[in-house]
Amino acid sequence: MTYIEKPVVPKVVKLEEPTATEREVLNMMLNTGSDIYQGACKKRGSTCKDEYRKVCGVAYMDPKDMARLGVSNWDTVKVTTDWGEVIVSAVHSRDAPHEGTIFIPKGPWANVITSHETYCCCDPTYKGIYCTVETSDEEVLLMADLMRAVYKKYVVDEETIPELESLGEMPVYKKK
Amino acid sequence: MEYILKNGIVYDPANNIAGEKKDVMFKDGKIVEQVSSDAKVLDVTDKIVMPAGVDPHAHIAGPKLVVGRIYRPEDSRKGVTSKKGVCRSESGFSIPSCPATGYRYSRMGYGTVTEAAVPPLEAKHTHEEIMAIPNVDVTPLPLFGNNWFVLQWAKEGKIDEIAAFVASWLRIVKGYGIKIVNPCGTEAWGWGGNVHGIDDPVPYFDVTAREVVRALAQANEKLGLPHSIHVHPNDLGHPGNYPTTVNTLDCVKDIAKNGSKRNQTIHLTHAQFHSYAGTSWRDVESGAKEVADYINNNKHVTCDIGQVTLDETTTMTADGPMEFDLHELNGLKWANKDIELETGSGIVPFIYSGKAPVPSFQWGVGLELFLRIKDPWQVCLTTDHPNAGPFIRYPRIISWLMSNERRQEMMDNGEVRVWSYKRTGLGTLDREYDFNEIATITRASAAKIYGYQDRGELTPGYNADIAVYDINPNDIDPSKEPAAIEHAFGNAMYTIKDGQILVKDGEVVKVVPSHTIWTDVKGFEEQEKTVMEEVMPTFRRFYTVKFENYQVQDHFTPNPIVTEVQAGK
Amino acid sequence: MAYEPPVTDYDEIVENGTCAFCGCNCDDLDFLVKDGHVVGVRHACRLGASKVMEDMDQRLLVPMIRDENGELQEVDWDTALDKAAELIANAVRPIFYGWSETSIETMKHGIRLGELVGAVLDNQATICHGPSLQAVQNVGYPVATLGEIKNRADMIVYTGSNPMNSHPRHLSRYSTFPRGWFRQRGRFDRTLVTMDPKYSDTAKMSDIWIGFEQNGDYGFYNAIRAALRGKEIDQDFVSGIPKEDIMELAEAMKNVQFGALYFGLGLTHTLSKQRNIDMAIEMLADLNKYTKWVLTPMRGHFNVNGFNIFMAYEMGFPYGVDFCRGYPRYMNGETNTIDLLTRKECDVFMVIAADPGAHYPGGAVKHLAEIPVIQVDIHWGPSTEIADVVLPGSFIGVECAGTSYRMDGVPIHMKKAVDKPETCRDDEWIIRELHERVQKIKAEEAAVASK
Repeated sequence: MTYIEKPVVPKVVKLEEPTATEREVLNMMLNTGSDIYQGACKKRGSTCKDEYRKVCGVAYMDPKDMARLGVSNWDTVKVTTDWGEVIVSAVHSRDAPHEGTIFIPKGPWANVITSHETYCCCDPTYKGIYCTVETSDEEVLLMADLMRAVYKKYVVDEETIPELESLGEMPVYKKK
Repeated sequence: MEYILKNGIVYDPANNIAGEKKDVMFKDGKIVEQVSSDAKVLDVTDKIVMPAGVDPHAHIAGPKLVVGRIYRPEDSRKGVTSKKGVCRSESGFSIPSCPATGYRYSRMGYGTVTEAAVPPLEAKHTHEEIMAIPNVDVTPLPLFGNNWFVLQWAKEGKIDEIAAFVASWLRIVKGYGIKIVNPCGTEAWGWGGNVHGIDDPVPYFDVTAREVVRALAQANEKLGLPHSIHVHPNDLGHPGNYPTTVNTLDCVKDIAKNGSKRNQTIHLTHAQFHSYAGTSWRDVESGAKEVADYINNNKHVTCDIGQVTLDETTTMTADGPMEFDLHELNGLKWANKDIELETGSGIVPFIYSGKAPVPSFQWGVGLELFLRIKDPWQVCLTTDHPNAGPFIRYPRIISWLMSNERRQEMMDNGEVRVWSYKRTGLGTLDREYDFNEIATITRASAAKIYGYQDRGELTPGYNADIAVYDINPNDIDPSKEPAAIEHAFGNAMYTIKDGQILVKDGEVVKVVPSHTIWTDVKGFEEQEKTVMEEVMPTFRRFYTVKFENYQVQDHFTPNPIVTEVQAGK
Repeated sequence: MAYEPPVTDYDEIVENGTCAFCGCNCDDLDFLVKDGHVVGVRHACRLGASKVMEDMDQRLLVPMIRDENGELQEVDWDTALDKAAELIANAVRPIFYGWSETSIETMKHGIRLGELVGAVLDNQATICHGPSLQAVQNVGYPVATLGEIKNRADMIVYTGSNPMNSHPRHLSRYSTFPRGWFRQRGRFDRTLVTMDPKYSDTAKMSDIWIGFEQNGDYGFYNAIRAALRGKEIDQDFVSGIPKEDIMELAEAMKNVQFGALYFGLGLTHTLSKQRNIDMAIEMLADLNKYTKWVLTPMRGHFNVNGFNIFMAYEMGFPYGVDFCRGYPRYMNGETNTIDLLTRKECDVFMVIAADPGAHYPGGAVKHLAEIPVIQVDIHWGPSTEIADVVLPGSFIGVECAGTSYRMDGVPIHMKKAVDKPETCRDDEWIIRELHERVQKIKAEEAAVASK
C-alpha cells in the first residue's frame, strides 16, 4: 500500500522573459532538509522502492531555473558540489519562486553532495552549499544501487560497478 | 543478618539520647532491642552514632535538574570522576548526575531526601531520575500552589474539592505532600508578571496567595497528610520581604493540626531567602530576627534555612519570575520552564562570592536564623540544594554552626564582606550548636516534620538507617577544629541503610536501588470520584496529553514505600 | 492521492496510543487492530500514519550477518548476537549512535554497555539540534510546555522550521489552531508568523511571512534585537528585509500578551549554526523585558529529546558522551559522531534505531564503509546496505511499550498495541543481551590476563 506515486508538482512553466537565454550550467545554492513525502516514505520503510527515489532523488527547482536549463519535470540533472556529484530528477518546486536555490530532500542522494564539515560544532552543513546544476542523460539510481556505487563497501572490483545488475526494489539477502 | 554497633556514642534526639555510650543493634534491616550472639560486631568505640540523615528540601531529580545539566556542561565537568569499585562515573558540582547524587548523600551519612518540586505533568521524569539515584530514599512533593483547579476552588472557598483533588493527584503522580511555590506569582509569570505580597491578586483567576495558602492548608489538615503544607512564600529574595513571610506563616495560625506525628501546620522552606528587611539592595538589612521571633513564638511553624555556602551554583526554582529577575541582575544565562495548567520554573547560574556584599549578607542572614531559632525541632539544615549551594556543603555548615570562632574568623579575615555582620545580627550571636542539636536539625526534626514513622530515629522497629562519624565527641572541641568536623561529617565511617552497609570509611561500598515515598489517601474515594468528574472536561480540553498518559504508571516506582493515610483521621 | 475508504474491518480499537514519529509525540492515536495486526490508525498525520502502516516488504524480521561474499545471510539470534558482542568487545573506539527512536528503557542498557567498553554514545541531536543545545549552553533556555502555548499564546513564530512538512499536527494540536483557555477562538485569536527563506507550506498559511535571505538568520535576529533595544538600524535592508518592516515586526512582538518561538533545522544547518540560535534565544530574553515569550526547539524524532535528558541525568552531558577514558567526556567537535567518522577514529559502529546511511553526509558514510557496522532497527534501509550485523528490533509505541520525552520535555509512557513479529526482539532485550555477552567476553579476557 502506498500513499503517493510522485510528489504533486505543477505543470511546466515557460520562461516569462523571451530574451532570457538557456544555459548549460547553473550556479545555484543547495538546501537539503526534510519534506513530508520524504519523511513518510522513509519511516514507512519503503527505502528500496522506486517511490523513495521519486521523493528523495529529486531536486526541487524554481520553474524559471528549469526553463533556463531547458529541463522539464522528471528530466535528470547532475548536481555537483565540492563534496561530490549526484544524478537526480529535476522537478518543479511547490514553494517557488526561489530562483537560484534548489532543494533536495534529505536522503542518500543529497548526502553524496552535502558538506560533512562541522566547523567543530558537531553538525554538518546541510544547507546553503554552493552547487552547479547541469543536464544529464544518466539514470537516477535506486537507493541500494546508489549506496553500492558511492560507498562500494562490498564491491570487489570497482571497475565493474556500472555493469553490475541492479539490486532492485526488494531487500536482497540469503534466507536460511 | 544481625549486627551490633558496639560502644558508639549515640545521638538520637527523638529518644532523648544525647551522647550516651551504648550499642545499637539491628536485624533484617530494622533496629532491634536484642540480637543473638551470632550478630556481627562493628566496633565503633567512641564514634558518633546517629540516625541516617534526612534532608527535608533539595532539588535532586526532575525536569529542572536536567535542564540545568544540559545547559551547564561547565558545572558537570567540575565533578567528573572515573568509575571505581561499585561506583559508576560521577559528574557535576551543583547539579550532580543522578548516580553522583546518591553516592554523595550516602557518603555524608544521609538516607532520605525530599525532592521538593515535582510538576505533576512531568512527574514521570522525576520518578525516572529517582530510579537512577541509588542509596537514598526520595520523597517527591508535587506542586499545587499555582494549579488552575486549585486557584479556582480557592477563590470559591471549596476546600472539599481541593482536598479530594490533592488526594487524587498524590496517587496519580505518586507524591508525598503539598508543595506551594510563590502562590499566584508563578501563574502571573505565565503573562510575564508576578504578585507582591500575599494579598495581591493574580490576573484572571483573581485570587490571592493568602486564599490559596489557607485553602491548601485546610485541605491538608482535612486529609491529615503526614506532612504539612510546604511553602515557598512570595517575594523570594526581595529586600523587604520578611513581612510577607511572617504574614504567610500567620495566615494559617487558626487552622487546627490534624496529623499524628508532626507539630506544625506550615513548613517554611529556605527561610534565609525570605528574611530580608529594607527597601532595595542598597539599604537591605536582615529580617532574620523578626522571622525567628515569629517562629520562636509559634509552634505551628517549622522551617529549613537554605544556607548560602559561598560557591558557584545553579539556582532553580518553580518561582519563574524570581529567576528572570535574577537573570536581569547577574546577566548569566537564563532558562525557564513553564508547565501547562500547573506551574513554571526558572534556572540561572549564580556565583555566591564572599568577595561580594550581597552573598556575604545572605550568608549572614542564614546563620543568624540558625542561631536565633531556639528550638532545634523547628529548624532543619538545608542549602535548598542547589539554590544557595550544593548539598555536599552540609558538613561545612555544621562546622560553622558549631564554631563561633570560625564564624568570627571568616568575618575578620575577609572571607566574607562586611555586609555579613554590618547588615545582619550575626556579629552579636555567639551561640554554638552541640552534637545533639546538629543531630536534631540534620535528621530528627526533618523526620518529625515529615511525619515519617520508619526513619529518623533509632527506635526498635524503625529502619536500620544509621550513620557513624569518625570523631570522638568527648575528645574534640568543635569550636576549635572546624576542619575536622567538616571532614568527619562529609566522610561517614559507616552509612547503613535498611541494615546494609553502603559506605565504609567515606567510600561507597555497596549500591542499592532507592525507594520512592508517597502518600495514598484512603477513605475519600467518593469525594475524589465527584471531583474527577468535574476535572475531566477541563483536563481533556486544556492539557496536551491524554489522562491515561498523564498518570504515573506503577513501574515508575519499582520500590515504593506507600504511606497510607485515613482521611480525616 | 487516491481516495481510500475508511477501515471498518477490525476486531478492537486500542486508544490513546502514542505516535512514534516526530517530537510532537501525539498521544491520542487509536489503533484499529485485527488478528493481532494494526490495520488502521486514527488521528495520526500523514507521517505518523505512514510509520504505523509500515511497509512489511522491508521489515527486518531475521538477524543477519554479512558472509565472505559481502552478502547478508540469515542466521539465528545467538550467532548474530555473539558476532556483534565480539565486535564490540574487541573495539578500540566504538560509537553507539542512534537511540532517538527507541525507549529510555533501552538506553539504560546501552549506557551500561558504553561504560563497560569505553564507547561514545551519541544521538541524532548531533546532526539536528546539536547546535541548539550548544546555544542553550551559551545563552540559556527559556521554554514552556506545548499546552502553555495552546492556552495562552497570541503570537506563534516558526523560524527555520516547516512544521506542515515535518511536524504536521504541531499547528493543529498544540500551537495555532486549538482553542485554549485564554484563546477561546483558536486560530482567530492568534497571529502566525513564519521566518524562513523558503516560502514553505507553513509560510503559505501564515499571517506574516518573513523571507529573509539564505544564511541571513543571524543578521536578521540581530536587527530585531537592535530594534527592541531602541537602537537605530543604519542599513535600509538587513538580510533582504526592509528596515521599516523589521521595526514594525519588533513592535508587534513587543505588544503581544504571550509569544512563542519555534525553531528548526533551518537555523542549525546553515553556516552560522549555533550562533543563529544564540541570537534567537537572546532575542527572546530581550522580549521578556516587555512581555512573555518562550521558545521550543522543534525536535525531529519522538525520543531525541529523551536521549539528551537521559544522558544528562545519568552522566551530566546531553549527547556525544565519550567513555573511552573511563569517565564521561563531552567536547563539541571532538566527541561527536560526524567528527569522529570524518577523522576516521571509529573502528566499530553500532546504530540503534537510526539511519546514518540515509542522513549522514557522504564524507562520514565513507568511513562507515571501511569499518564493521552493527544495525539494530525495524526496517531495511540505506544503513542496512552497509551493515555487517543486522539485529531486527521491535516498533516502540505499537509492538512494545516504552518511555519517551516530547520536544518540550513532557514524558510519555508509550503503550503497546499488538505483539511484535515472532522472530523479532525488543530493542531493550537486544541491548541487554549484548551487554551480558560483552561482559562475559571481558570477564574471560580478564581471567586469561590474570593467569
